[in-house]
Amino acid sequence: MAARFGYRAPRRREELLALLGEYGERARVLAGGTDLLGDVRSGLAHPEVMVDLKRVEGYRELGWSADDGLLIRPGVTINDLLGDDRVRASYPLLAACAQDLASHQIRNRATVIGNVVNASPCADLSPALLCLGAHAVLSSQEGRREVPFTEFFTGAKRTVLRTGELLEEVVVPPAGADARGSYHKLKRIKGHDLGIVGVAALAEDGALRLGISSCAPTPLLVDGLSTHDPVDEVVAAARAAISPISDVRCTKEYRTHMVGVYVRRALEEVA
Amino acid sequence: MSDRLRTVGADVPRVETVEKLTGDALYTGDLLLPGMLHAKVKHSPHARARILRIDTARAEALPGVRAVLTGHELDYRIGLYVVDKDILAKDVVRHFGEAVAAVAADTPEIAGEAVGLIEVEYDVLTPVLDPMAAIRDDAPLVHPDLGSYAYVEAAFSPQPGTNIAHRQLVRKGDLDRGFAEAEWIVEREYTNPSVQHVPLETHVVVVQWKAGDQVTIWTSAQSPFTVRNLFCTALRLPLNQVRVVVPHVGGGFGGKAGIHLEPLVACLSRKAGGRPVRLQATREEEFSLLPCRSALTYRIRTGVRSDGTITAQQMTMYWDAGAYADYAVNVTRASAYSSGGPYDIPNAAVDAYAIYTNKPYGTAYRGFGHVEFFWGLERHMELVAQAIGMDSLEFRRRNLLRPGSLTLTGERITEHTGDPRACLDAVAEAIDYGRLTAAEAEHERTTGRKVGKGVATLHKAPAMPSFTATAAVVKMNSDASVVVNIALMEIGQGCDTALAQIVAERLRFPVERVKVAVERDTDKDPYDWQTVASKGLILSGNACLLACDDLLRQAYEVAGQALRANVVDLDHDADRVFVAHRPEESVTFAELSIGYAFPNGNGIGGPLVGVGRYIAQGLTNLDKETGQGLPALDWTYGAHGVVVDVDPETGEFDVLAISSAYDVGRVVNPGLVRGQAIGGMVQGLGTALCEGYIYDQQGRLLNPSFTDNKIPTARDIPARIDSAVVETAQLDGPFGARGVGEHPMISVAPAIGNAIQHATGAELLHMPMRFEDVWRALRSHDPIDNWITETPVGSCRSDLPGGDATVHPADAVAHPGSTHTPEVALP
Repeated sequence: MAARFGYRAPRRREELLALLGEYGERARVLAGGTDLLGDVRSGLAHPEVMVDLKRVEGYRELGWSADDGLLIRPGVTINDLLGDDRVRASYPLLAACAQDLASHQIRNRATVIGNVVNASPCADLSPALLCLGAHAVLSSQEGRREVPFTEFFTGAKRTVLRTGELLEEVVVPPAGADARGSYHKLKRIKGHDLGIVGVAALAEDGALRLGISSCAPTPLLVDGLSTHDPVDEVVAAARAAISPISDVRCTKEYRTHMVGVYVRRALEEVA
Repeated sequence: MSDRLRTVGADVPRVETVEKLTGDALYTGDLLLPGMLHAKVKHSPHARARILRIDTARAEALPGVRAVLTGHELDYRIGLYVVDKDILAKDVVRHFGEAVAAVAADTPEIAGEAVGLIEVEYDVLTPVLDPMAAIRDDAPLVHPDLGSYAYVEAAFSPQPGTNIAHRQLVRKGDLDRGFAEAEWIVEREYTNPSVQHVPLETHVVVVQWKAGDQVTIWTSAQSPFTVRNLFCTALRLPLNQVRVVVPHVGGGFGGKAGIHLEPLVACLSRKAGGRPVRLQATREEEFSLLPCRSALTYRIRTGVRSDGTITAQQMTMYWDAGAYADYAVNVTRASAYSSGGPYDIPNAAVDAYAIYTNKPYGTAYRGFGHVEFFWGLERHMELVAQAIGMDSLEFRRRNLLRPGSLTLTGERITEHTGDPRACLDAVAEAIDYGRLTAAEAEHERTTGRKVGKGVATLHKAPAMPSFTATAAVVKMNSDASVVVNIALMEIGQGCDTALAQIVAERLRFPVERVKVAVERDTDKDPYDWQTVASKGLILSGNACLLACDDLLRQAYEVAGQALRANVVDLDHDADRVFVAHRPEESVTFAELSIGYAFPNGNGIGGPLVGVGRYIAQGLTNLDKETGQGLPALDWTYGAHGVVVDVDPETGEFDVLAISSAYDVGRVVNPGLVRGQAIGGMVQGLGTALCEGYIYDQQGRLLNPSFTDNKIPTARDIPARIDSAVVETAQLDGPFGARGVGEHPMISVAPAIGNAIQHATGAELLHMPMRFEDVWRALRSHDPIDNWITETPVGSCRSDLPGGDATVHPADAVAHPGSTHTPEVALP
């Protein structure tokens, strides 16, 4: 069914934030649109105004700094990320997750921040960002605040974002030179598919982190592990953290099993 | 004969390639007519309900709305074989997604908005979803009035007072004696869910109902004449007032056979005062407004001797017709008489039922039941062989049909029928069946995966009326090129190219001088029954040959007068007709083409127009109690061989290779055979791996889109995919050819299942074989039964944050199912 909505495409971030402040819950931010337009078409989203951020100056750029690491702005597409040599060299785990996201055509359009802010339990990038200790910068007319991704998701499709607030930056701290990552994603076909189970693992200085998707209402991080922990303990920790459901894609039993398999395999690769 | 053929057998490029690759090809959806309106449909969100009230007042008041229709205005009923379907639901809805009202408006947006304004009040009833429950005595009836419906009595047997739309019986030999002779009896049950055809082009129709009840229908149909015939029967119009035009079609696969949206759009056009109305189905509508492939439960009980000889087989098929009989009753009939596969079964009984349920209804789908039942049959052959400790390839070879064998319906196989053994041997050899190559052994060592190989046979005959007919017209132009008119549709299978080759061969013309007219038109083209059943090549091919002979006869007759020669002394080449013993005495086809003129100006002859008519011959109806008779125009045999590797820890598997072989009689075009073979195998792969309708307990379809109804992509095509042919000439086929359109899809799934079993021992009885299914089979866990799922919708744990965020209050009007998708199903 056709939907009617206003469309605004500000050039400056102040304008964008002002529009979000003005329209509040009646506005939705449009970036790549790969989630939002589908939701509008299905009648799941009813924005009065779409505020397109793609024309905001500087939003398509990646930022780098020695202290903060990688800074991803809202217009950066998945393929922008994949096309950046520094990202591939410094954050191979992030690149691996991005490479498995949907299809090339979708990656041309979909943004990194859109993937995260949609807060789908099966988002491909969230496990990597959780493992890498990334945080979100949330901006509004009132100012900005930083929220680590471990606290960003509050439920399926729910985040800490307040009305009028924009996820303006994703900041990924510098990864250690010895950091090793791996990503395993269960799909139904070899072509593009949503993750049925996703497990990212990152080992750095003996510390081990697991980012798991599609196994709880939110993507989740299993932290405080060591690469020296017995494998069974790591698997047990992962299984204790998840709360998978049975749905049209598979049963919770299989999800639980596959988390164990993927954690074991990830450990072999990164430990 | 073969070395004298020049065009038949050549790798001629498809005739429509350039037009399609450049985007010049026009489809029904490209049609723009002055004053054209756009239609949208209001769907039922319930599987079974009484309609208490429909209020269209607000929709009618919306500016730009030109017509709003509900079922009570339409006193027509439609049906292919059982006339059981209203154009719009009346009083009751019988499946999720069923059309209950429709709107035509100035724009699609207005039509969609108007549909949203239509209020329907339902009394929701408990649906009948499981076909096995639907045949119990206490089951509610999907069609309480079944006894009053018209139906094709020669072929079908609806059972009034039950949910059985058709029962097909086949009896051969003495079943009890056969089982008494058996040393082993193996009985199993095999299942598969409904699936969707997913053509690239969704169903699209434009209809204009003009003054004087003159109706023109442009439609993405496989069978223009069947659309016209069924339309005129339902709407009670004479055939010469209704014209059906079909331009290029973007894929059919059976889903565009029969009749679909045409009557609804026609009635909208009539109500809108004769303005043309266009309706194109959304992808979601393809899943539940339009029909699907029926689910099947297939129980097979086989008696076998220790030497591997089958002595008896009892087969029971429960076909889930869904809410309407459509093609499911004929799928049931055709599957019943084919159900034993290419095997010699001396004593057999088949009881096949088409069962009404409150689900989207089943229709034709490439293979017409054979993909579904061969899943069970060829898995069963594997399990029977395993039970008696025999290699399954050897077991199959021992029981294959051979000259002298009798089919289930009593047809005697001859040396010309085709060679299933050659097909089976070819694929077994192609995959090195029964052993691992050094590379495969190394692959197992390095990956930890298990490599397995499996084979499966297949056969199919066209499922069609015993008197199925077609015609072709070959018209010569004044430059001695020809235009061929047929109503068989080019839907991607390549018939235009193949028939052009056949015509070129018969006329001895280069193929470039033969054009098959693209747009089919029931007012201008000669009759063809339908573009289905892999029957086009034989029937239309023969009609084209006869049309060429007719044209040549006319040409010779005029040439005989022009050359003052006896017609029996004439011969011809690509350009001229000449006296055989004095070739310099000749006249060109160009001179003959539109009538010959003597030097003094006298004219003789006239335009050369060859007409060929062909009808299936010698076929009979089947006896209703025994199924005995001759239903098969021809049998195409084939086999698939598959190599898989399986991860025993996760159940994940990869199809490394598929080899195929089909006895096509004669290859008319190797590229087209290969195209059909690879396309069919990939489509078979989808059915084998991932496709299937999932319902909730209320009968709502949970996966009406590509989010959760995955189909194979380019990446899913196996690294190795081969097709080979066997050529046992079909005596009555054009140049010996027989059809191979559906066959490549049949038996891909059981070959994969057999390979998985060889690799791991997993005994899969349900298709598709998702990774979790394999994992469960490896651990003897209960299989998942999520095809009518008991999993509550959006069942995130409620004690966790977000557990209540799972229900989306949404408008299901435009896209049935979207509101019922579990939370995690959202991308």
